[in-house]
Amino acid sequence: MSDTKAIFTGDRCLSCTSCMANCPVMAAIKDYRGPKLVGPAHGRMHFSQEDVEESLNYCSNCKSCDRACPSGVAVSTLNMLQRAEYYKNHPHLRSEDMLAHGERMANLIRKIPFGATFSNLGMSIGKALGVFSALGIAGERNMPAYAATPFKDAFSSIKQTSSAKKVVLFTGCFINDNEPQVGNAFVKVMNANGYEVLIDRRFKCCGSPLVVTGFLDEAHQHADNNVARILDWKRQGIPVVTPCTSCSLMLKEEYHELFGDDKFHEAATNVYDAFEFLEMLQEHGEFNDNFKTLNQRLLYHVPCHLKSQAIGLPAQDILEEAGAKVNLADAGCCGISGNYGFRKDKYEISMKIGAKLFERVKQHDFDKVICDCGTCRMQIHHGTDIKPVHPIEILAQAY
Amino acid sequence: MEKTTVVVIGGGATGLGILRDLSMRGVKALLVEKNDLVNGASSRYHGLLHSGGRYAVKDQEAAKECIIENQIMRKIGKSCVEPCGGMFTRLDIDDPAYEELWVKGCADSGIEATPITLDEAFRLEPRLSRKHVKSAYLVPDAAVDGFRMAWQLIDSSKRYGGQLKTYTEVIGFDTVNGELRGVKVRNQFTGEEYEIGCDIAVNAAGGWAGFVGKLAGVEIGVQPDKGTLIAFNQRIVNHVVNRLHKSSDGDIFVPHGSITILGTSSMSVPDPEDTSTSRAEVESLIKIGEQTFEDLRDFRILRTFAGSRPLYIPPGGAVGRSASRGFAIVDHEQDGLKGLFTIVGGKFTTYRLMAEKMCDQICAKLGNNTPCRTADEPLVEEVSQADKDRARKFFPSYGTNLAATRLGVDRFKKVVERLEADPESRELVCECENVTRAEVEEICKDDTSFIVNDVRRRTRIGMGTCQGNFCALRAAALFAELGTEPSAKDSLARMKEFLQGRWKGIRPVLLGRTLRETEMTRSIYELSMNVTGGDAR
Repeated sequence: MSDTKAIFTGDRCLSCTSCMANCPVMAAIKDYRGPKLVGPAHGRMHFSQEDVEESLNYCSNCKSCDRACPSGVAVSTLNMLQRAEYYKNHPHLRSEDMLAHGERMANLIRKIPFGATFSNLGMSIGKALGVFSALGIAGERNMPAYAATPFKDAFSSIKQTSSAKKVVLFTGCFINDNEPQVGNAFVKVMNANGYEVLIDRRFKCCGSPLVVTGFLDEAHQHADNNVARILDWKRQGIPVVTPCTSCSLMLKEEYHELFGDDKFHEAATNVYDAFEFLEMLQEHGEFNDNFKTLNQRLLYHVPCHLKSQAIGLPAQDILEEAGAKVNLADAGCCGISGNYGFRKDKYEISMKIGAKLFERVKQHDFDKVICDCGTCRMQIHHGTDIKPVHPIEILAQAY
Repeated sequence: MEKTTVVVIGGGATGLGILRDLSMRGVKALLVEKNDLVNGASSRYHGLLHSGGRYAVKDQEAAKECIIENQIMRKIGKSCVEPCGGMFTRLDIDDPAYEELWVKGCADSGIEATPITLDEAFRLEPRLSRKHVKSAYLVPDAAVDGFRMAWQLIDSSKRYGGQLKTYTEVIGFDTVNGELRGVKVRNQFTGEEYEIGCDIAVNAAGGWAGFVGKLAGVEIGVQPDKGTLIAFNQRIVNHVVNRLHKSSDGDIFVPHGSITILGTSSMSVPDPEDTSTSRAEVESLIKIGEQTFEDLRDFRILRTFAGSRPLYIPPGGAVGRSASRGFAIVDHEQDGLKGLFTIVGGKFTTYRLMAEKMCDQICAKLGNNTPCRTADEPLVEEVSQADKDRARKFFPSYGTNLAATRLGVDRFKKVVERLEADPESRELVCECENVTRAEVEEICKDDTSFIVNDVRRRTRIGMGTCQGNFCALRAAALFAELGTEPSAKDSLARMKEFLQGRWKGIRPVLLGRTLRETEMTRSIYELSMNVTGGDAR
C-alpha cells in the first residue's frame, strides 16, 4: 500500500514473527504478548468487541520490531495508536502526565527565579524522601538535572560569523533544558563548516514523550505546529537539523506514520540528523576535514531511534575520519526508551534490557562512551557510573 | 438396522434447517452429509444475509421473502449474524433510471432503503471511490457466518433429538413396490456401507440434488452455477456494499469477521464438485470491484474460493443469473416413488422458510399437526454478558465474544474452566484469528471432527493472515493427541492435508504479499521441517 500511515501498513504483515523474535521487551518480560499480536494481528480483530490489550503497556516504542519487519509494517506506531485509544477511556497516571510533559515542567520552573537550581535541589531531596516513587516514577533514578540557563536563552550570546549558508537547530527538550553543551558543540561544528546556526523559538517538543504516554491529540498539535515551521524554513531553503535522534525520527517518520498527511512527508525531506547532514556535506565535498587529530578510543552505543532512520552510522564514519577509533557496543537496546525506564513499574524491565550494554561498557576498554540519544546516555550513566557524551561533543574537539 | 422417520440428505443450510424444523416438531430425523457440514454453497458464498435489495427490481417475491427472513435471522441468530447493515451505491457508469426502479422496488417489497448524502456515505465507508460513487442508500443487509450457523442449527436440532452423520454419502435407496424403506449410505473414511431405515427421505443436496435423484431414478432440474469469490485480509468495508445496478458479477463486498469477501462470478458448470478458481476470474472480479473501491489492489488478498448455486431449472427454464432464485419442492410420489421429496433452488437467506414449507408437507404426510416454531426460538442460547465478562481475563483481547458465539453456552463454559485451570491452554494456536489452545482442544475432541479442516471450520484456525503457516503444525499435533478418529494419529498426513486445503485457495492469487507469505510457509515446512521427506542431495 502506498500510504505509509501506520494503520494501512498492518495489511503488509506476513505474521512471520520476526518482530517478536527481536523485541527486547519480550525477552525481558514474558507477560508482553509482543508487537505482532498487539499491532497487526489484533488490528484485524477490533471489530469483534470493545477491548484493550493490557500488555500493550509494556511496549517501549524502541522500534526494534519495525526494524526487524521484512514487510515494512510500522508495528510500534500501530502500538502507539492503540495506546492512544486506550487512554481515550482511561485516565493517565500522574507519573505519565509528568513524564510526557517535560517541556511544560521546564517552562514552569524557568519562570521561577533560580527555579532550575531549586528544582535540581528539590529533585535530589525529593528522591531521598521517596516522593518520585510515590508519584510512580522509578525512585532508583536521578531525574535529569536542569541546566542553569536553557540553550535557547544562552544562544544569543554565542558569537557566530554570519553566513549565507544557514541551518536551523531543532534543539529538542533534553538539549535545551538539560544538556546545552551538546547544542554549543553543534554550533561550533556547524560554524567550522561555514554554516550559521539559527534557532526557532516557535518549535515545540517533537512530541515523542507525548506519543509514548498516549497524549496523541497533543502530539498531533505539536506535529502541526512543528511541521508548519519546518515547511516555512524549507521555503527559505534552510534545512532543520537536530542532534537528538528521537526528535529527528519523530519529525522524519513518526509524524506521517501516526497522522498520515502529505505535509508530514514533505516536511520530512527538510529534516536531518546532525551527522547525517555533515556526511551529506562530505559527499558534496563541502565538509571541513581540517581536523586536530582525535586520538581517542570511543565506544559507540547506537541508539535504536538512529538505527530506525536507516541512514547508517554517520557519526562513526566522521569521527573515524577525524582519527578516533570507534568501536560499536553492539549490545542491543539500552532499555530506557525515552521516559519508559523512568516509570516505576518499568524500571526493572528497563534495567534488564540494558544489562548486556552495561556489561559491555563496564569492560572500560575506551576513553569515552558516545551516544547520540540523551536518555540512552542517562541510562548508560545510571547502569555503569560512566558518563557518555554526544558524538558531536567529541567532533567539536577536533576543530 | 438403524431406523428413523425422516432422513435428510445434505448438510447445507436447507437440509440443516429441515433437520431443526422436523426435530422441533417432534419428528425423528437424521441428517446425512457426504462431507463436513456446509461443504457446498452454504459456506462457499458471500456470507450475506440479504435485505432483499438485490432482488427488489427483478424478483419482488424473492425480495419480500428476504426481508422477512432477514428480520427473523437477526432475531434468532444473534450468535451467527453480524448486523453490520448494507449500502447500495450507484456509480457514474450505472444507469440512473435503474436507481428509480430500485427505490420503488424496495418500497413495494417492504425494504427500508434510506437515501444518504455522499458525505455521509464517505464517512461510513471512507474507501469508496470519490470519483465514481454518485448516490448511496442504506439497507438492512447483514453478514452471516455459514459455519457458525450450521453448527448452531445442529446444536438446536440435537436438543430436540435430531441426529447427524457427516462424511456419510448416500449411495442408493431401498424401495419396495414404489415405497421408500430406507437410504443406503457409505462411511467416507471406513468405506463401510449400511442402510438407514426411514419412512421419508428429503433430497436437500443442493448442487448435488440431481445426482441423488439419479440414485432414485428420478430426474431433477438443477444446474450448478459456479461463483468465484475473493477473501481480503482486512475489513475493507464496514457495511455490505452493493452496486446499485442490474445484478452482475463482482458487485458485492461483505465484511465477514476479520476479512472482506468480494464476489461473485456466475458460470454454469457440469459438476458441483468443481470449486476451482483461476487467476483470470480473480482479475475480472478486481477490475469490477475497483470501480467502487479505487485502491482495492492495495489490499492483500488471502485466497479465493468458489461454490455452486444450485439453480432450479424447470423444464425449458432459463439458466445463469436469469434463472429463478426461487425454490421448488417435488414430491416424487408423482414419479412413482412414495416417501422421497426433493427441495432445490432458493437462497441461503431464505433457508428457514424453505425448510418450513418442506416440513409442512412432510408433516402433513406423517399426520403431524405441530406448527413450525423455527422463526420464534433462537438457534442457540447466548452466552450471558456476565459470563463473558468473567471469562475475559483468560481470553486474548478481542477474543471473548468470538469464542462465545462460536462455542455456545456449554462448550464456552468448558473452555473457560480449562483456561482458568491451565494457563498454558490460554496460548494461541492461531495467532491471526486469536484462537486459544483450549478452544481448539475442545473441538478436536468432538466426535464430529474427523480431519483438521473440520476443526478449522468451527474455530477459524488457519483462516487469517498467515493461512495456516503457524497453526497447521500446532493444530495437527493437538488433533493427533485428542482426535477420536484413528486417522488423527497420522499427524503428518493430517497436517499436509490441511495445508493443501489452504494452498488450493492461494494458488490463483500467488502474487505480491500473498506470494511472500506462501514462500515463507514453504520454507518452514519443506525446508526447515522437511515434511516432504526430500533428500538433501
